[in-house]
Amino acid sequence: MKPFACSALLLMLLPGFALLEARQSTVYVSVVSTKLFVVGAPNPQTGLFYQKTSDDTLWQHTGRNNIRAFGVDIHTPSRGDVLCIASGNGVHQTTNGGKTWKITTGWRITEVLSVAIDPRTANTIYCSTPYGVYKTTDGGTTWNERTNGMGTLFVQTVLIDRNNPETLYCATEQGVYRSDDGAATWKKTGLHVGGVRSLTKHPTKSNVLFVGTDDFGIYATSNGGAYWDKMAAGLDHVAFYTMVFDPTNPEIMYAGGYITGVYKSVDGGQSWRRMNDGLTNLNVHSIAVDPTNGNRVYAGTMFGGVFKSENGGTTWRYAGLGGSQVWTMTVQPF
Amino acid sequence: MKSLLVFGCLMILCVSGASAQMVDRATYLKEFQQRVKYLETAYDTSQAVGFYQIAAHYKLNSNIRQADSMFVQALKVPRGDMFWMFPVIGAYLQGVDKMSPETKAVVRNAWKTYAPYRGDTENHWAMYYASLFLAAEQWPNLPGSEWYNGKSSDENREEAREYLFDWARITTTIGQGEFDSPDYFAEYAISTILLAQFAQDPQVKQLGSMLSEYVFADFAAEHLDGQYLGGFSRIYQPAVYKPLQSTASAFAWLYFGTGERTTSGWILLPALSGYELPEIIYQIALDRSKTYIHKERKRVRNVIRYGDEKNPPVYKYTYVTKDYGIGSLMGGILQPIQQHTWGVRYTYGRPYTTIFGLHPYWSGLELGMFFPEEVKTLIADVVASKGTYNNPDKWTSASPFERTFQHKNTLIALYDIDPGTTAEHINGFFPRNLEERIVDPTGWIVCKAGDTYVGWYPLQEYEWKEELETPANSLNDIGRPQLERVRETGNWRLRSHKLQNGYVVEVRSKDEIGSFERFRAALKKSVPKRTMKPGDVSVDYTSIGGEKMHFRFPDERKLNGKVVDLSRTKLFEGPFLHAEVGSQKLTMTYKNKKRVLDFKTLTVKE
Repeated sequence: MKPFACSALLLMLLPGFALLEARQSTVYVSVVSTKLFVVGAPNPQTGLFYQKTSDDTLWQHTGRNNIRAFGVDIHTPSRGDVLCIASGNGVHQTTNGGKTWKITTGWRITEVLSVAIDPRTANTIYCSTPYGVYKTTDGGTTWNERTNGMGTLFVQTVLIDRNNPETLYCATEQGVYRSDDGAATWKKTGLHVGGVRSLTKHPTKSNVLFVGTDDFGIYATSNGGAYWDKMAAGLDHVAFYTMVFDPTNPEIMYAGGYITGVYKSVDGGQSWRRMNDGLTNLNVHSIAVDPTNGNRVYAGTMFGGVFKSENGGTTWRYAGLGGSQVWTMTVQPF
Repeated sequence: MKSLLVFGCLMILCVSGASAQMVDRATYLKEFQQRVKYLETAYDTSQAVGFYQIAAHYKLNSNIRQADSMFVQALKVPRGDMFWMFPVIGAYLQGVDKMSPETKAVVRNAWKTYAPYRGDTENHWAMYYASLFLAAEQWPNLPGSEWYNGKSSDENREEAREYLFDWARITTTIGQGEFDSPDYFAEYAISTILLAQFAQDPQVKQLGSMLSEYVFADFAAEHLDGQYLGGFSRIYQPAVYKPLQSTASAFAWLYFGTGERTTSGWILLPALSGYELPEIIYQIALDRSKTYIHKERKRVRNVIRYGDEKNPPVYKYTYVTKDYGIGSLMGGILQPIQQHTWGVRYTYGRPYTTIFGLHPYWSGLELGMFFPEEVKTLIADVVASKGTYNNPDKWTSASPFERTFQHKNTLIALYDIDPGTTAEHINGFFPRNLEERIVDPTGWIVCKAGDTYVGWYPLQEYEWKEELETPANSLNDIGRPQLERVRETGNWRLRSHKLQNGYVVEVRSKDEIGSFERFRAALKKSVPKRTMKPGDVSVDYTSIGGEKMHFRFPDERKLNGKVVDLSRTKLFEGPFLHAEVGSQKLTMTYKNKKRVLDFKTLTVKE
């Protein structure tokens, strides 16, 4: 009788717990390596990790180990069922929330640096590599090179305009390229500097984009790439690997890069201020903001793991995965 | 009793690796089998637990139940990526008809649960796809859920097959990217020999056999007394200055009977395979009765940024005698980290049978050309595994500030180094066991190594430093030498700090020039004229053979007044190997023999 009573109590409480759980976002991070990564050596776990926003320093691993995960994208409408990892081995894909995984690319596609899933249909996926961009429209069964107008450039990131998914942007070694026909053709934008390492788009204004470069700092465009302006106010560094908008308030932005720590802007990227209190590793490669709570910000570092702020970057604390090179991160509202 | 004693002595000679003689096929095969037997026995009787020991037990039908138990044990914590894949499938295929069903199931399960990384270089991909192909053939018709990568047996087999044929195509049209590597020769030879031995698909089996011949022929034409003759795309320390420590030399012992006897694990699977070299290849490797020039064209490993071309050509020139070989790449960044641009190697004075020079260069730019990670942190990434990379004393390096010009046995190296470059000096390696290392008043450094004489004319002031050596007797987790430095004195480093720099190297043998004194006298008459200014570095030199060489950094080369056009270099050209760019065909010739590998038709003709 007693066990039954306990069970009944649990059943009564469960919906409440489930509701609490449902309110939490999920943080996904792709880990390329740790300092000790050597092909062929007994490497520590790399790949895709995730946690709920309440999980402190605890992270779960999903997918294969040891895959040098450069990027991750989640098909948000599927609530995490469809996930793609960009890795040295190709594109790893799950359609059942990580129960099973498959490398959908073949031998020709290697060193995949980013992956982007079309928000309209999870069957359409783009990936970027040091040899250009590839696209599948059948969920990964077949992949085709999509470099018309661009050539086989080193493409760090491919970005989908989620308001108009036929429009894409690529951050390349030769600047930024834009496609308005689902990657069938590409045109170089007006950015006159190369070594573009990161690219981000305003959550609602399709023509507003920012890029971070390896040697020339941050540039912004408000006309879809036709003209770019250098953002200099408050910036003391030149190499920026990541830039994000706060989805809850797009006037707020964060940027990070080589020994920069985290820079924050509260005026839509016009001026910047460093916010590094508690951030013990200043090589920042990825930043993400919780779409359900703009004060909750994550910073992924190179070989220092993840740091977390609950006050919009004012202070930071270590959040796990120490020693890891956290290349990409995203926070999903489920 | 006497005959037994004689046989015993013969056995010792056969496996000891003394200088090999040209012998008839039957004798060669008999001696080869003795070397195979030596290896098999060494691994079969070893107390160690590893895939090579397991493979030897299965092959020799020796203690199969123990082999099963060892196999299960060895698979408990898989690691090593493609360096795990090939010994596992190699051992499995040796024992597939002998092991217990339970052991088979454990091996099968390992290919489901352990996910090897595919890697990022040509040798990784060769091992990965050769192993995956063989595994997919062994376990056909399985769904993706039974494989580590989610692909079905058919998908894995077809992907691997396609890669292997494409690798053969690019290799036989514009050359290997990770070419002529004394330390990565093994990775290619093992992959291709396993395919030749075990592939069920007759085309892949034939491809494996032909690719085995291709890589061995490439080595044979530049082989001397167990050594690969440089330059090289990749070589480790200490093999760069102790040439017989490279894995290619282990293969030379097994297949050519040269170098030093070894129980290197790298040759165990090939030894077990039953693969036999065609006669013409070891004849090419061993016949040094005539001096010859051998040229090659290879390709740079995939350039992913900071370059206009994905796979620019590499030109290699090698001059080979029975006593020495001098070989060079044209210079520049052709491979990251471990390039060996030029070297003299000779038959005297093991283990230090070489003299060479280099500019020890490192930069994020160099690494960024080939690796996709962030340029500003790449040096730290690389140093984590290759600790000598940013060491100004390192002995392997590519440099954008280095170029060479070789004609026969004369080589000129020039350097025009930007200020602030890492590092702002050049180095030369002179081994401690030279019989002579004299600095002549004319400026020539004149060295005697047995019957090989080397003259080195520095174009700028320099200093001598006693050399510290990296030990070879400890290995890291992937079987490579540890990089901690210990003091082992006696070798000499020539160091010159001038940014505009260079040297002329002349090499002759006793057969070519007579006495060492005569060589020294000839050098005295041959003093280079030089210009050493930033942006204007050049040499005019008349070799002791009377050839007029003009070399202006970076790429202006003239021989007796005529421009030397490296772009006309074929894939292979010399007395033994012949291949046109784009041909997918290699012709081997030796005396009246001819053997043609045609990769378009996948046929071999004699």
